[in-house]
Order: sequence, then C-alpha cells, then structure tokens
Amino acid sequence: MGIFTPNKVISPATFRLILLGEAALFLIIWLASPFKVLPRPMEVFTALGELWRGGIGQELIVSLGLFMQALALSTVISTSLAYLTVIPVFRPLALVVSRGRFLSLVGFSVVFTLMLGGDRPVKLAMLTLGMSVFLLTSLLSIIAEIPRSQYDYARTLRLSEWRVVWEVVIRGTIDKVFDAVRQNAAIAWTLLPMVEALYRSEGGLGVALDIQRKYFHMDKVFAIQLIVLCVGLFQDYAVGLIRQIVCPWADLNKERSDA
Amino acid sequence: MSTPNTNYEMRETLLKLENISHSYNGRPILKEVNAEVKNVHIPGREQGQIIGLLGPSGVGKTTLFRILAGLMEPTSGKVLLGADAHPVKRGTVGVVAQDYPLFAHRTVLSNLLVAADNNPTVAMNMLERFGMGEHAKKYPIQLSGGQRQRVAIAQQLLCSEFLVLMDEPFSGLDPVAVRNVIKLLGEAAAVDEHKTFVLVTHDIEAAVETCDTLWLLGRDRSADGQPIPGARVQKIFDLMACGLAWREGITGDPEYQRVLAEIQAIFPRL
Repeated sequence: MGIFTPNKVISPATFRLILLGEAALFLIIWLASPFKVLPRPMEVFTALGELWRGGIGQELIVSLGLFMQALALSTVISTSLAYLTVIPVFRPLALVVSRGRFLSLVGFSVVFTLMLGGDRPVKLAMLTLGMSVFLLTSLLSIIAEIPRSQYDYARTLRLSEWRVVWEVVIRGTIDKVFDAVRQNAAIAWTLLPMVEALYRSEGGLGVALDIQRKYFHMDKVFAIQLIVLCVGLFQDYAVGLIRQIVCPWADLNKERSDA
Repeated sequence: MSTPNTNYEMRETLLKLENISHSYNGRPILKEVNAEVKNVHIPGREQGQIIGLLGPSGVGKTTLFRILAGLMEPTSGKVLLGADAHPVKRGTVGVVAQDYPLFAHRTVLSNLLVAADNNPTVAMNMLERFGMGEHAKKYPIQLSGGQRQRVAIAQQLLCSEFLVLMDEPFSGLDPVAVRNVIKLLGEAAAVDEHKTFVLVTHDIEAAVETCDTLWLLGRDRSADGQPIPGARVQKIFDLMACGLAWREGITGDPEYQRVLAEIQAIFPRL
C-alpha cells in the first residue's frame, strides 16, 4: 500500500495505473450523479460531434490564433520588462506594471476600444495585458530570488556585468521562466472566453461557449470545455517538451516527474 | 610519518593585508587587520601555500573573505596582490564558496571554458589533472559533492592570478570527506609555486593538518572580559617553521599536538 505513504516514489507505470483508476472512479461518480443538470458523458460526446459538424473547428482556429499571438506578445513584453530590471531605472516601471494584476480587464475595454478600434486588436490587447501582468509578477519573483552568491560567483570568474546578467539572470533562470510561461499559458485559457464573449464579431470558442450557456445547452458547454481541456493539455505538453530540449539539466535529479 | 622539510626560503610578497578596517552601520566588524603572505620557494619542487584563516562564528571571517575576493570595499585599508602590490579587483582572486557554485545550465567542461577564456585544451587539461576528465559532459547536478568540489576548485584555479579563497571547505563533512578535501587541497597547491589558498574555517584540527600558516582572527577583550567590536589577526602560527607543513600523517607528531592544544586554548577567547 505504498501509494498512501508520504513522499513515496512510484514508477511511471504505477502512476498511469492510479490515473486510470481515478479516471474510472470519476466517470462512475459522474454517471451516478443525482444532479440532472449535469449532462452524461455520452451526451457530451454526442454534442461534441454536433459542434464539430456545426463548425466549432473554425472557432477553435480563431481562438488558437488569438491565444498564440497573445502568448507570444505577453512573453516578449514580460521577459523584456523583467530582464530590464537589472537596470535600476526600469525597476519602478516593472513593479507598477506587475501591480496591474489587481485591476479588472473589463475596466480597460472601453479605453482599448477607443484607442485601437476593431474587435481583434482590442481582444489581443486585453488578453496580452491580462497575461503579461501575471507572467511579469512570476518573472520578477524568479529574478529576485537569485541569491547574491550566484552574482558573486559569476563576478569572480572575471565576467563583465552584462555577461553576469546573461549567465545568472537569463540563462540561469531559463528553466524557471519556461515553468512560468507554462502556468501563464494555462491562465490565458481562463481569460480568453471572457474576452471573446465581450468582442464577438470574430467568433471563437468564447462566443460559442457564451451562446450555448445562454440557451442552457449544458452538453455543448461541457463539450466546448472538453475541447479547451484537450488543447490546454497538448499546449502544456508542448511547452514542457521545448523546456526539456532547451534546459536538459533542469529535471535530471528530480524525485518526481509527474507535475 | 614523513620528516620535516626545513629546506625552503621566503621570497617576494604575494599577498598583503594593510590596515583593513570595516564597519557596518557604524558598528566595527574588522579593525586594522594586517597580515602578509610571502612566496615560499622549495628547491626542486612546485609547492604553493595554504593559509588558514581561523576564527569563531560571527567574528567577521565572511566580511574579510569578501574583501579579500574584491567583492567588497573595506571602510579603510588595502588588499595588495603580487610583487608589484596591485590592489585586489574582483576576478583576480579565485573564490570557492561553501556550496561549490557552478553554472547549473553548463556542463562541467563548459563551466571550465568560462574560466579558461574558451580554450578547450586548457580546460580539459585542468579537468584531467583533477581526475574529472570522464565527467566533462555531465551537468553539475549529476556530480557527487566531492566531484563538484574538484570542478569548482579547478575552475577557480583557471581564472585566478594565483590566490584562491575557500569558504569553510570542511564544514558539514564527515571525517572521510574531510580527509579527501585535505588531500585535494594538497594536490591543488602543488599545481604551481605561486598558487596560494586561503581557507576560511573554524575547524581547528583540519586547518592545522592542512595549512602552512594560520591566522587567528578575533576580538580584543575589555578588562572585564567582554569582546570589543572589531576583529583583527590576534596571532599567526607559522607551521612551516614548526616543521608541520608539506607532510602527511602529522597528527601523531608531538609538535602537531602542541600547536593544536595552544590554538584550542586561545580559540574560545577570540
């Protein structure tokens, strides 16, 4: 009964077995649920087929395009701002931007509409802003946690201060930056439906979800959620794979690799 | 037990600590620290030196360590290096910190290349010299503590002029590991006549066994026995003159026991 022992290291095969067991248990609970509002698994899969034939693939492409653009932009903006904090004059700016995480995106909708016009640029701006403030917060924390000994060490190797930045701040934290981007990309999928539901002309999964929700088609709502979940899982796997290629040292001595 | 070597001569000054004082928030940490290391020449042999900077916890060893490394400016005084007495600058002195830092994102060889101006032959030769050639392609996280220590020392030997500082090299090690470190330091000091290691430690026994000279850093005491802020070098033990340097198996030597007992008697009052 090692699977109930704290900190027990289990094999990948055992992990998969537990995963399958828990998935089966979840399915049983779902099927046996007394809540009529919950659609049954077969209803969800049927709805998924209907949605697919109805053109949900096109909505997925619209959402994916917006998501990829926002992810790229927010990553560039956040990493640039975070790395610029090595220069004291940029520190207040980065701190102020990161505090933007306490602001509501909806509050910016009118301003962005008036400034940018058109649904696509406004959606992109809102999503990028929403993602950037959280990613920047994570990146600032990663950089702040670099111990002084790491800087001292690099300096004793006769490296210039710019080289210290490259080795310690940029290359030395790249694995953690990938983790932050990975988490932030997941957060983006929670923001995306809201932004798409506000600006509907282009469509997208957010619009589809909003329509099905309004008509109380819970089977279709669940089907769309299932699509988002699958896309999210694939995206998580892809970022993890890139991280493994770029940072082969990062997971060498980890006790657990199931995160 | 090997016999004492008295056939050596003192030559030019390699390192000079000149009236180093340092205060933090108005509180003196170091007060007029003075010490000097001269090049010791042994005919027919490459032999660097190992200096031990001994002192109790919190006395100011780390502050002096950072000043010696050029990572911190003292409030007053100078650290001078070499026969031409040039002031210390960061990067001219090798520093091996307690946790043996290496760049985690670089392989062992790549770590050494940073210090060897990207010369793979020089880097590989140094790795071979420390018995680490076969681990060149590994990442630091894949090394054992002892292997990591070897790579860290090799790296600092490559980029320092001649002086390498080590912070608590015996701290937290079991007796077997301490013996390995003592052996490793002996090998590292034998790389070049000018190579000089300064070990900052509070391990008296390991220091007496490893070092050629010991500096005891401590505070003066008031008439009622209270420590007066601001540490200085209270006493210097020349273990070369005592016949304890460059020998193996000295722990059975009565002179070793005498020096050890004397330091152990002084240490609590530092």
